[in-house]
Amino acid sequence: MSRRSTRRRDGLSLSETLPDRGLFALVAMVGFLAALTLAGACGARALSARWAGGAAQLVVIQVPQPDQPARQASGGVQAPGEQSRADAVQAALVSLPAGSIVHRLSAQELGNLLEPWLGSGLKGQTATSPSAMPLPAVLRVELPDSTLPPATLEQDLSAVAPGVIVERNSLWSTRLHALANSLLACAGLALLSVCGVATLITGLTTRAGLASRRDVITTLHGLGASDGYIAGRFARRTASLAFGGGLTGTVLACVPLFALLQITAPFTAEADGVPATATQNSLTGQDAFLGSMPSDLLIGLGCLPLAAALICWLTTQLIVRLWLRRLP
Amino acid sequence: MIHLDTVSWRRARKDPAPVLSRLSFSVPQGGFRWLLGPSGAGKSSLLSLLHVETLPTSGRMVVLGQPVNDEQKRATFVMLRRRIGMIHQDFRLMPGLSVADNIALPMRLQNRPEDEIRDEIRSILKWVGLSEYHDAPAERLSGGEQQRTAIARAIIHRPGLILADEPTNALEESQAHRLLDMFAELSAMGSTVIVATHNEALVRRLPHPALFLERGHLVSDETPPL
Ligand SMILES: Nc1ncnc2c1ncn2[C@@H]1O[C@H](COP(=O)(O)OP(=O)(O)OP(=O)(O)O)[C@@H](O)[C@H]1O
Ligand SMILES: [Mg+2]
Repeated sequence: MSRRSTRRRDGLSLSETLPDRGLFALVAMVGFLAALTLAGACGARALSARWAGGAAQLVVIQVPQPDQPARQASGGVQAPGEQSRADAVQAALVSLPAGSIVHRLSAQELGNLLEPWLGSGLKGQTATSPSAMPLPAVLRVELPDSTLPPATLEQDLSAVAPGVIVERNSLWSTRLHALANSLLACAGLALLSVCGVATLITGLTTRAGLASRRDVITTLHGLGASDGYIAGRFARRTASLAFGGGLTGTVLACVPLFALLQITAPFTAEADGVPATATQNSLTGQDAFLGSMPSDLLIGLGCLPLAAALICWLTTQLIVRLWLRRLP
Repeated sequence: MIHLDTVSWRRARKDPAPVLSRLSFSVPQGGFRWLLGPSGAGKSSLLSLLHVETLPTSGRMVVLGQPVNDEQKRATFVMLRRRIGMIHQDFRLMPGLSVADNIALPMRLQNRPEDEIRDEIRSILKWVGLSEYHDAPAERLSGGEQQRTAIARAIIHRPGLILADEPTNALEESQAHRLLDMFAELSAMGSTVIVATHNEALVRRLPHPALFLERGHLVSDETPPL
């Protein structure tokens, strides 16, 4: 007989006091919810991070009638060779923070962009060729991280090319960032309430177990069992049940999560700069599943059964030790 | 050493009358005392108090040289209870555990080595005449067998204080005599022994000082009755 098993023969018979079915099933359900909530939280976090970075630094400038001559800068020298409005605006963008990338969309790119609305006829046009449709010149400006375009950008550009339109993506991105953050907060709250439910379930189960073993515990206490011993016995039992339940719930949650990831895969993959088809073709089965999971979600899911065990262990320790306070 | 100075105890704060009122007495280490009194006098309550299952409501109490009051740490009481062997009136064996596992409990709770426990169990089972019940479930024993198991559990770890609540009421006379001779022996070896009983024949056979309780009051001390 092993030393461990003899030590456990103390009359608490926890397999009856804290029956596995109840707590195990409840924690499995909570674990399932927690896994889904965690996935939601990870999604919201990724979204929030994306909108906080990249897109926030994008400014799009439209110059209508790009080929008309630019207005002479007030008091300035005449531009050599009658500068076009588009060129003048591009030249004026030197005032942007260092490291900014200015890209003027070619006629081809513009055509691609507008094709869905205007048909393929545009594709052959060049920026300079006269056309039936007056197209604006479009300049895409990427600012370096944590810089903002100067507040006077519109004024400065209008000075050389009246009617210029400046679209600050940051306006939109701040809003989207705020939205993603509130989603993240919601997911965080949901995760917290799931933890609360787990605590409550453990607390109630433990209290019921204590009540049903009142005499045995009192006798053990009289025989010299310390609070730590009794609380430890109960806590190890609830923690192992919670670990099993948490693991089961997490594994079960992987089924809908996998389906969800399959649906969102094209978006997430493209956003990361990798063509979706490449990721899907190169991975199969389990690899595909693990590969499609963001690593933070994977770590979170791995920690979930441990977190469930920890929550149950702490709750049970607290409840048993408080209960034992009625005995000296 | 046990010392009580005007100790009172109420079951609940709002109880009108205390179960034990203003008890004062001392028992030296290695002393033997009978605890006598009519049913309901408070004998079991006094033994629970001495076993630190409950704390005095007022007064000063010292058990095995350790002051017992609510200013002490809980761990102190745990250590104190480990030095006391208590035989409850209702035995309080653990259902579902074998006789051997019941008897092993005080030693296992103190993390004593398993082979030492095995040896102690074997010799004490022989002594109380339960050798063939080593693996029997405790709840299937007769009253007398359960009582002997409870006695074995109370003394296996050589406690400094033995508290016995009617330890012979389920035993035959010869067994009762043997048991009390053993208590006298343990007391001679240095354990303090307090035995609550209604059995006057036993008291006559072993004349030791007695504490006589009546409705929670100590009416005589160190005076063998009759
Ligand atoms: N669980 C209880 N709840 C309320 N009152 C109780 C309880 N147990 C005992 N009492 C009361 O406390 C008083 C002392 O009881 P106690 O059991 O200490 O007496 P005793 O001397 O051991 O009696 P006996 O010889 O019958 O065992 C009695 O008046 C009894 O009615
Ligand atoms: Mg009694």
